[in-house]
Amino acid sequence: MDRNEFRDLYHDLRRGRITRRHFMAVTGLGVASAVVAACAPAASSPTPGPTAEPTPPPSEGATPAPTIDVNADWTPPEGVDLGDTLIMTTWPNYHDQKTLDRFKELTGVTVQLNIKGSNEEMLAELLVGGTGWDVLVPTNYTFETYGSKGIVEKLDLTKIPRFDASRYDQRLLSPAFYPAGSKDQYGFNKDWGTTGFTINTKQISTLLTTWKEFFERTQADLSGKVMIHDYQLTSIGSALVALGYSFNSVDDAELAKAEELLVAVKPHLFAITSDYQPAMRSGDAWMTMTWTNDAVQLHRDIPEIEYVIAADGGEIWSDFFAVVTGAPHREAAYAFLDFMATPKVAAQDAIFHGAPLIDSAAIALLPAEATGNKITYPDPASLTKLEFGTAELLTSQARADLWARVKSA
Amino acid sequence: MTAASRAALDRAGPWVDRVFRAHATLIYLFLYVPIGLVVLFSFNAGGHTGELRGVSLRWYDYALNDRFAMGALQNSFVVGFWTALIATSLGTLAALALQRVPPRVRAIFDALTYIAIIIPGIVIGIATLIFFVNLFGWVNPWLDYVWTAAGLGAPPVIGKGLHTVVAAHVLFTMAIVMVLVRTRLAGMDRSLTEASFDLFATPLRTFVQVTLPQLRPAIVAGALLAFTFSFDDFVIATFVAGPGQPTLPMYIFSSIRRGITPEINAIASMVLAVTITALVTVGLVYRRQARQAGETAAEPLALGIAEDA
Amino acid sequence: MTSGNESAGGRGRSRAVTALLLAPTSAWYLLLLIVPLIILLVFSLGARAPEGGYAPALQLDNYLELPTRATAFFNTLWMAAGGTMLCLLVGYPLAYYLATRAGTKRTLLLVLVVVPFWTSFLIRTYAWMTILGNQGIPAIAEGLGFGHIALINTPLAVMIGIVYNYLPLMVFPLYVSLERLDKRLLEASKDLGAGRLATFRQVTLPLSAAGLLSGAMLVFIPIMGEYVIPALLGGGKVFFVGNALVDLFLQSRNWPFGSAAAIVLILVILFAVTLYLRLGSRAGIQREVSIL
Repeated sequence: MDRNEFRDLYHDLRRGRITRRHFMAVTGLGVASAVVAACAPAASSPTPGPTAEPTPPPSEGATPAPTIDVNADWTPPEGVDLGDTLIMTTWPNYHDQKTLDRFKELTGVTVQLNIKGSNEEMLAELLVGGTGWDVLVPTNYTFETYGSKGIVEKLDLTKIPRFDASRYDQRLLSPAFYPAGSKDQYGFNKDWGTTGFTINTKQISTLLTTWKEFFERTQADLSGKVMIHDYQLTSIGSALVALGYSFNSVDDAELAKAEELLVAVKPHLFAITSDYQPAMRSGDAWMTMTWTNDAVQLHRDIPEIEYVIAADGGEIWSDFFAVVTGAPHREAAYAFLDFMATPKVAAQDAIFHGAPLIDSAAIALLPAEATGNKITYPDPASLTKLEFGTAELLTSQARADLWARVKSA
Repeated sequence: MTAASRAALDRAGPWVDRVFRAHATLIYLFLYVPIGLVVLFSFNAGGHTGELRGVSLRWYDYALNDRFAMGALQNSFVVGFWTALIATSLGTLAALALQRVPPRVRAIFDALTYIAIIIPGIVIGIATLIFFVNLFGWVNPWLDYVWTAAGLGAPPVIGKGLHTVVAAHVLFTMAIVMVLVRTRLAGMDRSLTEASFDLFATPLRTFVQVTLPQLRPAIVAGALLAFTFSFDDFVIATFVAGPGQPTLPMYIFSSIRRGITPEINAIASMVLAVTITALVTVGLVYRRQARQAGETAAEPLALGIAEDA
Repeated sequence: MTSGNESAGGRGRSRAVTALLLAPTSAWYLLLLIVPLIILLVFSLGARAPEGGYAPALQLDNYLELPTRATAFFNTLWMAAGGTMLCLLVGYPLAYYLATRAGTKRTLLLVLVVVPFWTSFLIRTYAWMTILGNQGIPAIAEGLGFGHIALINTPLAVMIGIVYNYLPLMVFPLYVSLERLDKRLLEASKDLGAGRLATFRQVTLPLSAAGLLSGAMLVFIPIMGEYVIPALLGGGKVFFVGNALVDLFLQSRNWPFGSAAAIVLILVILFAVTLYLRLGSRAGIQREVSIL
C-alpha cells in the first residue's frame, strides 16, 4: 500500500466512513501491538542514572538517536519575552503541580489550569471564540475539527526544539497532522491511556470484567454507587460496547439501544461526572468509569481500588499538547510545550499522573516502579478490543443530542 | 411593640414561646453550621477541605499571594462597584422620569422592568452572550475597515471583558433599583416638594435638597443590592466574562473542578469578615439615625436584602 | 406600582429632560433585553450547525423537540413549588418569632439572617457537598446506628441546598408584613374569645398575605432558573431546565434547541407569576403585592 492509499484510508477512518477494524485489517495495524510495541518499556529497560545513556526502545522502523541529551534540564528560550501567565485547558488530575511550579521557577510564568470534563465542553467554548486559552490538551479524535476550523494553530516546530518526532510512534503521533497524512502538525502526544473502570474491592468482592457487567450490576446490587463520565464519547461508547456494538457507532438503531440502556441506568447512578476521584476517595461511590491516570492515582493512594480494562472493549486514547489559535500568551505556550517535550520533565510529570508516555526518551527515564505499574502498562492482550474515537464523533449531532437527552431524562 | 400587646402575647403561654425559640435556634444552626465549617477549614494546615490536619494560617498567606485569586477578587470588586454605580444612577433617574411620562410609556417601561426581573440569570447570560458575539462579529470588521482605510495602523478589537459583565449585571440590578425608588417615590410627602417650589427653588435645587434625601434609603438599599448581586453572581458572569478575567465566583467554581483547597475557604472567610465589619458599621450608623428618626434600625437593611434575587 | 403625578405641562424643555433621563435606561433595555430576546427567538427557529452552534433556518422543530425535556421542566416546576413551600413553612414561624417575640435581640437576629448572603453562594453550596457527602451526616448517622443513608446527589440534597440559599428571601418580606401588623387586632381577636389558632387563621395570616406572596415570588422565580445547586448537589442526576440550558450551550452545542428551551422557560415563569398575581389580586391584596 502506498502512502496516498494509506492516507485516504486513514482519512476515511477518522471520518468514520470505515470501521477501525476494517482499517486495521486493510493496513495491517493492530492497535494493541502498535501501541505496546512502541510505548511499553522493554522489560529489561535500565533504570537510568545521571550518566546512563538510555537506549531508545525499539519502535517500528528505524528510530534515529535522540538529537538532544535526554538528561538535560530544560532552559527557557533566550531573548523571548514570555510574560507571566499561561492558561491551559485540560482534564482533571492530569498534571503534577510540581511540574507547573518548576516551569514558573524557570520562566516566571504561572500556569493557570481550566478543567473540563469532555472534549465537547472544550469545543463549545472554542466555537464561541475569545476563550483566552493558550494551551489545550485535546484527544486524538479532535484534530480533524480543530485543524479544519483553525481552532488550534499549526505548530511552529522551531519554537519546540526539544520535540523530536523520531522519538514518537508515528501512528500515535499521526492524528496531530491535518489534513491527515500531510506534514502540517498541530500537536504532539502528551500520553496515551485507556478508558476502563475502577472498583473499590473492599465494597465489591467480585471483580467485574466487562462493560456489560458494569451496566448490569449498576442496575442491580450496585445501584446508587456507580459513576459514569459526563462525556458522550466514553459514556455512550461504553454503553454501545456493553451491547456488543462498536465504541464508535453512529448507527441509529444501535444508538437508540444505547440510549435506552443509559436512560435505564441513570436512576441507579451515584453521579454523572468526569471528576470522579473525590467521590471514590470519600467512599460515596464504589465503582466508576475511569481513565488510566485517575486509576493510577486512586490505586496509589487507596490500594483496594482496582482498575479493569473491560474485556468486551472500550476506548484507547491519546492526548496531545496544542496551541490555541490567537493564544494571548503564545510565546509562553510554546515555551511550555518545549518544556513538556523535554524527556526529563515529561517523565517526572508522568510519575505523578500515571498515564503511559509515548516519547521513547522519556519512557527510558522512568523509574522501574512506573514502568512496572500494571495499570499504566497493562498486558498487551487486554488492549486488542479497544478502539480510538473517530473524528466524526466530536461533532456528531446524533451523539450530542443523545447525550443531552440522557442527562435531562 | 406596646406594653399592652406584649401582655397579650405573653398570655399565649411560655411553652409556645419555647417552641418558637427552639425553631429559631434550629434555623440559625442550619444557616450557620455550613458557614462555620467554611471558616473552620480555612485554618486547616492540611491540603484538603474535607480533613482537618492542625491549625495554621498558611492558606491565608497563600491566598493573599495568589495572583489569580487576588485578581479574581479585584475583578469582582470592580464589577460590583461599576454595576452598583451605573444601576443606581440610571435606575434612579429613570424612576424620577417615569413620574412625568404618559401612562402608555410608563406601562411599556413597567412591562420591561417586570421582564428584566423575572428572566432567570441563566437566560440573561445565554442571550447576552449570543448578542455580544454577534455584535462583536459585526463591529470588529467595520473597525478594521475604517482603521485600515484611514491608515491608523492596527485596529482596536472589541471583545468580552469585565465591561460585558457589568453591562449584563446592570440590566437586572437597574430594574430592581427602579422598583425600589418608585415605591419610595409613591410614599413620598409631596408637600415638601411643593413647598420648595413655592419658595422659588430651582428644580435642580429642589431635587438635591428635598427629593434626594427622601429617596436616600431606597437608593442606598438599591446600591447595596446591586453590589451584592454583582459581586456574587456566577451564572451570568460565566457566560459573558472575557478571557483571563474571571470574577471571584468564577475562580471559585473552577477551583471546585480543579480540586478545592482551603485557599478558597480563606478567601471566603476574609470576604465574610469584611462584610460583617461593614454590616456592624452600617448597623450602628442606622441605629443612630433610627433613634433620631424613630424608626426600627433593621428596616432599611431588611428592605435591601429582601429584594436580592 | 406607583401612579406618578402628571407633569405641570407639556413644556418642551421638561419633556426633553424627561427623555434624557430615560434615555440610558431605554438603551439598556433595548440592547441588553429586547435585542437579545429577539435573537433568542430567531435562533429558536433555526437549525444546529454541523459542528454545533446556529445555522439560519425557519422551522418549529426545536419547539416540537421540547417534550424530550419534559422531565427537566417538571423537575424544575415541582422543585421550585416545593422549595417555595418549604421556605414558607420553615420561614413563617421564624419571621413571626422575629416580628413578635424576639424583643431586644430582634435587630441582631434579623441581620444574622442576612449575613449568609454575603458569603459566596458557591462556597456555601460547596460546604453542603461536604456535609451531605459520605463523610458528613451519613457517617454520623451510621455512627449513631441509623444504618447507611444516601444524601448527596439526591433530590433531597438539592432541596436542602435550595431552602438553605433562598430561606432569607422568604423571611424578610414576611417579617416586614408581620412587623407592621397591628397588634391591637390580635388583642381584639383574643378579647372576642377567639382561640390562638382561630386568631392566627382569621387575623394574622390574612394580614401577612402580602408579605407571604412577595416572599413566595422572590423564592420561586430564581429557583426556576437555578442550575448551580442541582449541578453541585445533584451530581448531574437532578436536572433542572437551567442545567439543560447549560448543557445545550456549553456541551452539546445545540443553540437553536437551547434557545427554544430558554424561551419556553421564560413563558412558563411569566405564566406562573401572572397566575400567581391574579390569585393574589382576587384575594384582594393586589395593591401590596407586586413581584417586589
